[in-house]
Formats: sequence, structure tokens, C-alpha cells
Amino acid sequence: MRTKMVGAIAVVGAALALSACGSADPAPAPSAKADQFAPAAQDEASEITVWADATRVPVVKAYQKAHPEAKIKLVTYSGNANGATDLQTKVQLFDRTGNGWPDVAFSATLSDTAWAAFGDKPYAAPVDKVIDKSVLDGFAPGALDPCKVGAGTYCVRNDLAQVVLWYNKKLLDKFGYTLPTTWEEYQALGEKVAKEHPGYLVGTAGDPWAPEIYLWASQCPASTVTEAKNVTVDLKNANCSRMVGMLDKLIANKAMSKAGVFDAGFIKNQASKVLLMPGPSWFGQVLFNSTFKIPKGEIAAGAPLKFASDTATYTGNVGGGVWYISSHSKNLKTAGDLVSWVTTADEAQANAVTYPAYTKAAALWLTKQRDSGYFAADISPAFTQAAEQVWPGWSATQYSQEAIYASTVVPALNKDQTIASTIDAWQTAITNKATSLGYKVN
Amino acid sequence: MVALNTRPSDTFPSDTSQSGSHLGRRTPRRRWSTGAIAGRVTWFVVTGVFLLFFALPVVWMLLAVTKTDSQIIRGHPFAIGTWHDFTQAWGNLLNFQDGAILLWMKNSAVYAFGSLAITLATAIPAGYGLALTEFVGRKLLLTTTLVVMIMPAAALVLPLYLEVNAVHLTGTIWSVILPLSFYPFGVYLTYIYYSSTIPPDLLAAARLDGCSEWQVFTKIALPLARPIIALVSFFSFVGNWNNFFLPFVMLPDSQQYPAQVGLSNLLAASAVFNTSAGTENQILRPELALAALLTILPVLVVFLFSQRALLSGMLAGGTKG
Amino acid sequence: MATASAPARQATGVRGHRKPNRSGYFFVAGYVVLLIAFGIGPTLYAFWLSISNSRGQLVGLGNFTRTFTDYRFAAAFTHIMVYVVIWLVTLMVLVVSLALMLHGRMHRTSAALRFLFYLPGALAGVASVVLWLILLDPTNSPVGFILRAFGWDSLATVILPSHLPVIFTIIAFWTGAGGWIIVVYGALNSIPPELVEAARVDGASIFQIARMIQIPLLRKWIAYMLILAFATGSQLFVEPQLVSTASFGMIPDGWSPNQLSYLYAFQAGDFNGAAALAVDLLFIGLASATVVVFRGGLFERE
Repeated sequence: MRTKMVGAIAVVGAALALSACGSADPAPAPSAKADQFAPAAQDEASEITVWADATRVPVVKAYQKAHPEAKIKLVTYSGNANGATDLQTKVQLFDRTGNGWPDVAFSATLSDTAWAAFGDKPYAAPVDKVIDKSVLDGFAPGALDPCKVGAGTYCVRNDLAQVVLWYNKKLLDKFGYTLPTTWEEYQALGEKVAKEHPGYLVGTAGDPWAPEIYLWASQCPASTVTEAKNVTVDLKNANCSRMVGMLDKLIANKAMSKAGVFDAGFIKNQASKVLLMPGPSWFGQVLFNSTFKIPKGEIAAGAPLKFASDTATYTGNVGGGVWYISSHSKNLKTAGDLVSWVTTADEAQANAVTYPAYTKAAALWLTKQRDSGYFAADISPAFTQAAEQVWPGWSATQYSQEAIYASTVVPALNKDQTIASTIDAWQTAITNKATSLGYKVN
Repeated sequence: MVALNTRPSDTFPSDTSQSGSHLGRRTPRRRWSTGAIAGRVTWFVVTGVFLLFFALPVVWMLLAVTKTDSQIIRGHPFAIGTWHDFTQAWGNLLNFQDGAILLWMKNSAVYAFGSLAITLATAIPAGYGLALTEFVGRKLLLTTTLVVMIMPAAALVLPLYLEVNAVHLTGTIWSVILPLSFYPFGVYLTYIYYSSTIPPDLLAAARLDGCSEWQVFTKIALPLARPIIALVSFFSFVGNWNNFFLPFVMLPDSQQYPAQVGLSNLLAASAVFNTSAGTENQILRPELALAALLTILPVLVVFLFSQRALLSGMLAGGTKG
Repeated sequence: MATASAPARQATGVRGHRKPNRSGYFFVAGYVVLLIAFGIGPTLYAFWLSISNSRGQLVGLGNFTRTFTDYRFAAAFTHIMVYVVIWLVTLMVLVVSLALMLHGRMHRTSAALRFLFYLPGALAGVASVVLWLILLDPTNSPVGFILRAFGWDSLATVILPSHLPVIFTIIAFWTGAGGWIIVVYGALNSIPPELVEAARVDGASIFQIARMIQIPLLRKWIAYMLILAFATGSQLFVEPQLVSTASFGMIPDGWSPNQLSYLYAFQAGDFNGAAALAVDLLFIGLASATVVVFRGGLFERE
């Protein structure tokens, strides 16, 4: 009986092997042309469904209060934070059944555009066809770049996460150091700290987003999407190796930690020894204030660093949420109105947790920060400058650079290897991942 | 630990019988032989080590809810916090979206008990039928059940979703209750239980006495089924209660979320995991630990109830001989 | 009732009594409806997905060869093989021994211990992330001294790739073993005490009793546990996700085949490739199940 079964399986297998009449390759998803956007039949009185994360729920409720005529059904979801892919998972299913899409969705992950704007009928509607140009023009220069695919803009940026140079003013003054303005000075200071005040730190390399802080600022072409699904990955470029070399040196003399800033061990033992730390704008309140519990009046933000040989200063970016409007929405007017309100209105953004992407709201946000009195010096100059200096050559991709760094480079660091020695493995990991998602890698 | 407080009469090696009628066979010589002492020491060491392994993390978690986030990170793991910090964590947790956690628990209860009822009504007779009646396709049914059980769930998500959508149940409680009530694991447990505890002779005798098949089931099989009902109920309840993926996929509305889906949102909203959650967010480690403990309470209650039924039933079946 | 607990094997000549009749269909009917709707139907659809493409054309084994050449395929299946071996051995040996140790002595203590052993089982899924986030970090873990004893002084060194199979086994054992201990304990209760007592009077040691009497009578239960443990082990998904969340992504997202299948479906939108991987896993599971079913006599009735 068992031989019979084996025989049957063999026959079925052989039949299957011969019976192919289509290609097994998954259909490559063409990017939709923004000018071909065809909205569904509209009904301006219909209810819209809004998916937001818990942090954004109050803002949507505020909109509802200010616009009682709008019919809104608010759904709380994870917001795709910390590597979750809830929105994508659900949209894949909705695409199959042809219903269920939320009219508006917030995502804490910039890279969602890399799938939401693609496909036969992409989930994301080109917002430039829905929201007035004058509104979109009010965003910080470059803020909407991660939303752009071809000629269309497919999302609206909620907040920026430009990288600045955080420092502990009290410690810096105590040690008698001056704030570096170039990466060369930064490295020199790091080496000095290692000698004179061992244990104190000028940064961390164990966070998943370390490449976005350091390599992005160094203009390393690790993730440059040229058109549609062509991506350039070149970690051996001189722009990468100059930064990698510096990191390796600082890690070797222990001025830079291999831990991540949110590791419990780091918070417990090293948080109070952070002298300098290049990091995104949200580090100020989220990391130094609420997580590290550094007292008032010690932390300040300096402008992004530049390489002495470069003509311009560039910086990186770590995160920043976006809002999508569904291309299937039956009420684009309300959806568009809601998205512009929550991203631009003073009531919505001035007290937001993170730095608003909308320039006018950002100015107000900065005064509120000054009023809070937490920082040792006004952070406004550094923040506004950095917001415009994010290097445009680093694109959001469907895969996460952070996940690849965390699973490829961080384990190696903890085996006492250098970043430089992992470059090949790292490059391969990115290439493989990109290829598996249908990217063409150069 | 309470568990290690043993009465002096509990000796090793003790009798394995449940009835207690063999107590007299324990002899002093046996009690104090070196082998017995070594055995007893081994018993204590091994169970003690495993007790620590299983319970210590839970103890840590119980303590965690009485501390502040900062104490959890900076203090000694087994330090005890304060009542004030516990009420603080409780308040913060209840504050999250106006007490959403209570709503999640209520939803979970509806899904878990709803599908449990259907599971019991189908799995117990099915296990009985497979074990003690003869019909064409019995082995086929056993095989198919096994195949379906082994199929990785990730591949079944899409088909299930399409199916539920096709009958317009998406978004209703049935989209969760019905798929969950399909519980092959329970059918197998019942099948194995009946086929290894009830001798078919017994049923044959009852049939000779003129019982109908239905009467045989209700008069003989069901009364003996108490332990297996307890076991299936328990595992089914826990499985339903802890299921994340099915409700996550099926339910479009956060008002319908069960505890597991809600918890994952809570986790995503917590500043511990979400760098964009901001500073006003009050959900930190103590609140997360409290939420986790709160959501396992019903499971533990069900455990204690079924444990009782499980043992008494098994004993009844075992000692009537 | 008198024969209820007699050793099943003494019941001979039973088969003749049972003739196919319709009552069996009646008893299984409700279950069969659910089985078709939520088991067979979706499984068949998944099979169809695995041999077709997104345009609904039959592609034969195309999806299988395609996923086979994926750069993560070999790694994922190697990971899972190492893990399954460690997991099965640990589970079988420890669960059966612990159940035997807890059985039949010190009722109160034993009941309390079973409850405590089970506790972590209730803490499944998302609820346990926060626990592992702290437990695996040597700096403030309650078991930090153990981790440091191995020379691991940070979360990252604890979860180095080579440690993962063991760590996942510990997590899976911690959450899953208690439930199985209860099943095996319950099964032990159905063994007639007279049998054990008789052997003991004959001078058999507890090890001999376990080996000669208890374990053989638990054959079906152990077979069943083996099949399910193999299936759940080869479909490992929750534990790597859990540690990945707790460590901010230090575990590759395609560590296990099941995770890979999930990535195919929901990251690449490739439900066909995902189904092919699932069918691979199904066949591996079935192969082992077949062996166990026949050797363990799971379908037999004594």
C-alpha cells in the first residue's frame, strides 16, 4: 500500500513537472502612472475609514471635532511601527477580494511607499491629484521625496527625523571640549575622549538605524533607487569606506558603543556617559528625556557634521511617518481634507511628539520646545538647518535597511569583527533581499 | 515555596496508585534505604530546577508590575516595588484608549467561548465515532485530519480569508468563531482517549442490551468523557484565546479586536518598541507586563477548573475497575 | 463498567462485533462539515496556489523550483532541521520524564507543580515579548548570572546566530512543555494502578516500571505528541518573531521556512511561492507523521 502511494505521488509529480503552461515568475508589478489615476465613483457624504496608530488617534479625533460634518470611522492599528507590516498584509488581502481598503492610513514606516505605489492598481492614490499644490509646497524641501515615485507623490509626510548632532552640554563644558563641526573633528574628539575619559561615548553603532545616521550622512550609495525598481547598492564606494573606517576606529577604542541606545543594558550603564551622539530629531525628547532620564538643561543639538573635503553638508534621516490616501476611496475630498489638516494645521502639529514636516507648523513646534525648557540651548537652528540637508540620494525601499544591518552587521560587531570586514556579506545581504523583492540591483 | 511543603507521609518511591488502598504496603525499610533517599533527593532537585525554570520568569513578571519602568531597568530584578506604582501602572493601562483592554478581553471571551461550544459539540462525538464505531472512510478521515493539522497556517490565511469573504462574513464575529471551532487537535485527543480507555466489548454489551447507538454514546461514552472534555475544552480555550493571526486578518475594526491583537497594538504603541510613540505615552514595561498578566488570568482560571475535572474524571475511570 | 479499566490488549475478538453502520457518520458529521470548510477546502486551495501563478495559470512545479533556488531556502531549512532535532529530543525526554515523576505521588504538590509548570503556557504569543525582552538581556535579566556564566554580556551576544536553535528551544519548551506534561499525566492516569502495583511488588524499579509498563501503554499519546511536536517545530514562527521584536530586528526575518513563507505572501505579495513553501513543509511533516503513525500504531485499535 505504501509503495502504491509512493508511486502515485511520483506520477502526480511527473505530471505536474510536465504540465506547466504558464511562467512561475511572480508578475513583476509595474508602477502605475500618476496621470492615469482614475478615482472610484465619488460620494462626498460617504463615511471614510481611517487607520491610525495609537499616537495619532488624538489628532484624528481633533479633526473630527473641528469638522463634525465629516463621517469618520477610526480604526486603531499598529501603525507599522518597529518592522510590523500590518498595512501591507491587509492590503494584499483586500486587493484579492476587491474591498475593505481604509480610505486613509497612517504608517510609521517610510518604506511602505515602495509597495503602496506599485501594482496594477496601487493602494496609494497620488496625493498631488487630491490635495492642493499650495499645501504640498509648504512642506520642508525634500520632505516629500520619500513619497515620490516617478512623477507622482503618493503620501504626505507627517514628521521629519533629520539627523543632528546631539551632545551633553554639561559634560562637554566640564571636560573643556568644543563641539565638532566636521566628521574629522568628531573622530579626533572621539579618540581624545577614549584616552582622557574612557567610558564616555561619542555615539552608538549597535542600533538598527546606524547606517541611516552615519552612512546616509556620508552620502554612501547603499540604497539609491534610480527608476521604478532599479536600485544601486555600492558599499565599497569611497563615500562609504570613509565613514566605515571612522566607525571601526571609534569602536575599537571604545569611544563608540556596540550596543543599541534602547538596550536595557545601555540605558542602565551607559546612558549617562553619552557625550556626543549623532541621531535623529526625535532622540531629544524620546531618548534623552523619557528613556535616559537625563535631567533638564544638559542636552542640546548641534548642526549636522560635514566632511572637510565636501562642499556641502548632508545628513541622514531615521524614520518619520506618512499618511496615505486610498486610490479606491469613494470620498477623496474628505480623505484629502483630513490628511492635509492632520499634517499641516497648527492645532494638529504644534504639540506633536515629533518634528512636523510642514514648515510653518515646525516653527511653532520649535517655540514650544524652547518653552519646555528641557534643552540646554535652543535646538531650532540645528533642526531647521538639518531639515533641509537630508541627502536625497538615499531612497526608501520595500525592504528595510535597518533589518539588514541589525541581522548582518550587529551580530558580527558582537563577535569583535569590524564593520569593514562585513562589507561583502552586508552588500550580498542587501543585494539578495532586493532581488528577492523584484528589484534590479546595479 | 508551597509546592515543596510536603507531608512526612509522602515518601519516595511512593505508590503510583490513586486509590490509597495500598498505603499499607509502604514499609519503614523501604522508606529509609539509601536508594530511596537518593531517589528522593533527585526528585526534589529535578523538579526544583524545573520549577525555577518555569516559574521564575513569571515571578519576575508579577514583581515587574509593582515597579516603575526605571526600576525595572536599573534595579535588582527581584526587588519588590510599591503598591503606588502598581496602581499607577493599572491607571496608565486603563487609560490607554479609554480602557480598550477591557473591551479586548470581552471580545476574546466571546470568540473563545463561542468556538469552544461548537468545538465540543463536534469534536467529542467525532472522536467517539472514530474510535468506537466502524464506517467506511474512517481511516481516510483520520488521515485527512492529520494532514490538515500539519499544514502550515501561513498558507491557509489567504484561502480562509477568501472563503469567509465569499460568504460575506468578513468583519462579523463568525469570521473568527467558525474557523476557530474547527479543532482537529481535540478530535484526535478524544479519539485516542476513547480508543485507549473504553474497550469496545463494553459498547457491544450495551448494544446487546438493546441500547441504540445514540444511547450508547450518551449513556456510556459521555459519562466517561469528562476528563477528555476537560482536556479538549482547556486546550481549545487556550488556543482560541491566544490566537492572533486569524482575528488579525479577519477583523477590520479595532472595536472587535481580541486581547492578542489588542496587545500587539499596545506593544506597537509603547515607547519601549515604538520610537515615534513620543513622551506622553504611558505604556512602558510595567504596563505591558500588567497587560500580559491580565490577559492570561482567564486562561489560568479555566486551567484550574479543567484540572479538577480532568483529575476527578480520570480517577473515576481508573478506579471503577 | 467492570471492564472499563482492563488492559485494552486483553479485549480480543472485538473486530467481529463491529460492522459498518450508519451511526458512525452521524457522530462525525458535524466535524466533517467544519473539516471540509476550514481544513480541506483551504488546504486544497493552497495546493492549487502552489502549482499555479498569480494569473491563475498552471505552472507545474515552477513555484517549487523557484523557491528552492531562493538564497534563503537552504539556510532556513538548515536552521529548522537543527532546531527540530534539538526540540524533539528535549521535549520527548523531558516531558515524559517529568510527567512520570509528577505522577502518582504527593497529590497536592504534584497538582501545584503541574499548575506552575503550565503557567508559561498561558503567556503565549504577544504577551511574552516583554518578558523575553528583559530575560535575554544579561544586564538586568533575572537569570543574568546564567547568561554571564556563558560569557555573554549583552543581548546581542546572547542571540548570536549559533545560539538561536537552543534559545528557541528554551522558549518553546518554556511555553509548550507544561501543556504536554498535562496530556501525558492525564494519559498516565488511565493506566490501571494494579498493573504498576503488581510490577512493583515483583520488585521492579521505578525505571523498569516506566520502561516496561507505562511508556508502552502511552505509545499512542507519545506518537501523537511526536507528530504534533514535529509539525509545530518545523513550522516555527512565533519564537523567532518574538526574539526579533525584542531585539529590534537582530534575527533575520526569514530565519525559519514558515517565516519565509510569510515573507513571500505578505512582503512580496507572492501567494504562490508562499504556498509552495508551505507544501514543502507539509510533505516533510507528512513523511515523519507516516513513520510515526505506522510505528506508533496511531490508527490501530487494540
